[in-house]
Amino acid sequence: MTTADKTVLILALALIAALYAHSWAPAPAAESARVSSAGKPDLWLALGADREVVIEGVLGPTDLEIRDGRIRFRRAPCLGKHCIHSGWLASDGDFAACLPNAVAVQVVGKGTGFDAITF
Amino acid sequence: MHTHRCRLGALLIALLLCACEQREIPVHEFQFFAFGTLIELTIAGAESRSAQRAYRRIEKDFKTLDEDLYPWREGVLARTNRLLARGQPFTVDPLLVPMIDEATRLSRLSGGLFNPAIGALVELWGFTGGEPPRTPPPRNDIMRLVAGQPSMQALVFAAPTLKSTNKALRLDFGAYAKGYAVDRGIEALRALGIKNAILNAGGDLRAYGRRGARPWHIGIRHPRAPGVFASVEIETDESILTSGDYERFFIYNRKRYHHVIDPRTGYPIRKAICATVIHRSAAVGDATATALLVAGPDHWEALAQAMGIKQAMLVDAAGNIHVTSKLRERIRFHVDPGRSIVKSADR
Amino acid sequence: MEFEVTREDIRIAWLTALALGMYVLEMAFPSPLPGFKPGLANIVTVAALVCFGWATAAWIALLRVLAGSLLAGTFLSPGFALSLSGALASLMVLGLAVSVSRKALSEVGYSLLAALAHMGGQIGAAYCLFIPHAGLFKLLPVLMSAALVFGLLNGIIARSMTQVLLAK
Repeated sequence: MTTADKTVLILALALIAALYAHSWAPAPAAESARVSSAGKPDLWLALGADREVVIEGVLGPTDLEIRDGRIRFRRAPCLGKHCIHSGWLASDGDFAACLPNAVAVQVVGKGTGFDAITF
Repeated sequence: MHTHRCRLGALLIALLLCACEQREIPVHEFQFFAFGTLIELTIAGAESRSAQRAYRRIEKDFKTLDEDLYPWREGVLARTNRLLARGQPFTVDPLLVPMIDEATRLSRLSGGLFNPAIGALVELWGFTGGEPPRTPPPRNDIMRLVAGQPSMQALVFAAPTLKSTNKALRLDFGAYAKGYAVDRGIEALRALGIKNAILNAGGDLRAYGRRGARPWHIGIRHPRAPGVFASVEIETDESILTSGDYERFFIYNRKRYHHVIDPRTGYPIRKAICATVIHRSAAVGDATATALLVAGPDHWEALAQAMGIKQAMLVDAAGNIHVTSKLRERIRFHVDPGRSIVKSADR
Repeated sequence: MEFEVTREDIRIAWLTALALGMYVLEMAFPSPLPGFKPGLANIVTVAALVCFGWATAAWIALLRVLAGSLLAGTFLSPGFALSLSGALASLMVLGLAVSVSRKALSEVGYSLLAALAHMGGQIGAAYCLFIPHAGLFKLLPVLMSAALVFGLLNGIIARSMTQVLLAK
């Protein structure tokens, strides 16, 4: 192999490594949830690590639980508890909200989902 | 030497071009609360400053309309209802004139199934505030209000004065206000030079333009499960609105009571669980989606036709999907549309 | 009518036949991924490039794609479009490489460039013509890795072939 051959080989390897990094790395961390609460800027939560998050709403604190790449309302100060009954949100576009407390959670995937949901 | 390097550079570029990369267009997403729900604005292909300016304008307009149009707030509509109750003519706020005009027309076209004059009944059920009620109101109260037979036909408009000939009449634009606000919002966005946007008021949305290289993908939420059961693509200016029994409801004695009241009976409708309409105007779509639920699986198609709607879908109480032929051509189902989409335990 | 057949023509003809033979041989083996082939026919292209120049190699490559598609019954099919795009891309890159320097690269280097360009050209054509989905690019790293491996292998084989050709 000549020096030029080796240069081409090294460049090719670098290109392929870059392609791997670009296409594959973001996949595990891609699912996140966007939490809106009235009067506050949106909070983005990564769904990779299991944990509990407390959000202050209009009526009081709301507990959100993240586990296994999914998120749900665990405790909320509203009466109807529809937000809790919505259960686990897992796929891109899944959405639940505690309207009395003005807290909304939407799962956001990698852009292969929907731009908006009608309901 | 110089030309060799240029050629080498061109060679490298050729190699990289072979792995052709996609270009991303800017997409801005904004959210805020109004009309008791979450409002989402999505703008594509505009620079950040224009998008921010558009968002501030939409948020301001919505919050103003929210104050004015919701009868339990101290705004224009609340005052108007008080004045109407007196039975005397009064000068009506110009904001309401086009709304009353269009709502009256839509109410007539729907044969009264869309009836914004039943504000008293809506308030009696209690779905108007932030918290849902827990129990149904007393039957006698409901019957009394139904007997009053309030309808938009009782309004007499002799510009600039308005009066009501029926003391039972109370205006509630709940089934119409979000669509109306969305239509005004889209006009404002266009005037501000935004070329591609979605304005989504708690699930009632209107979209125009595209998201970069592709149309907007809109999902239709499943009425009984998380996720989506159907979807459509929008790229020309269109609204898609859904009315369902799952938005505001409570369960009492194992029965579901929700916010879509049948004006004829005074009780929530039972024969359908959700309806979706696609139309240019969000206000017309909003009123029609509600009316379709009231019409039920036996009369929904005739009602859609009467209201000038060609693309509509109804899911009846058994979970069966009914869809107009024009909508069937473009809608994509993520479930088997030939079978019920709800399990009997969920009904 | 009389055609004048040059020595060059004869050379191109039998080299193309050889490339076709390898192409047909390759068709006998099932491919794990659609569009994923060792590209044995490129061995001939590269060897011809080193021995006889870019123009000859270009003739051989394009004739092979055309004749191959007629033989396989895929003329003007999507597969043909992909094959052609791959061939054009690799020829373009080889042409650029040769114009930079005729001597710097050996068969291995040329084969590597040709294989990567070929795969890239095919994926680009697939994206533009058939599957405008971002998901297609997920395949890029894997396919390009395969192209690199086969490019190297084919280059080594092409080396032996040039010895044979130059000896004739």
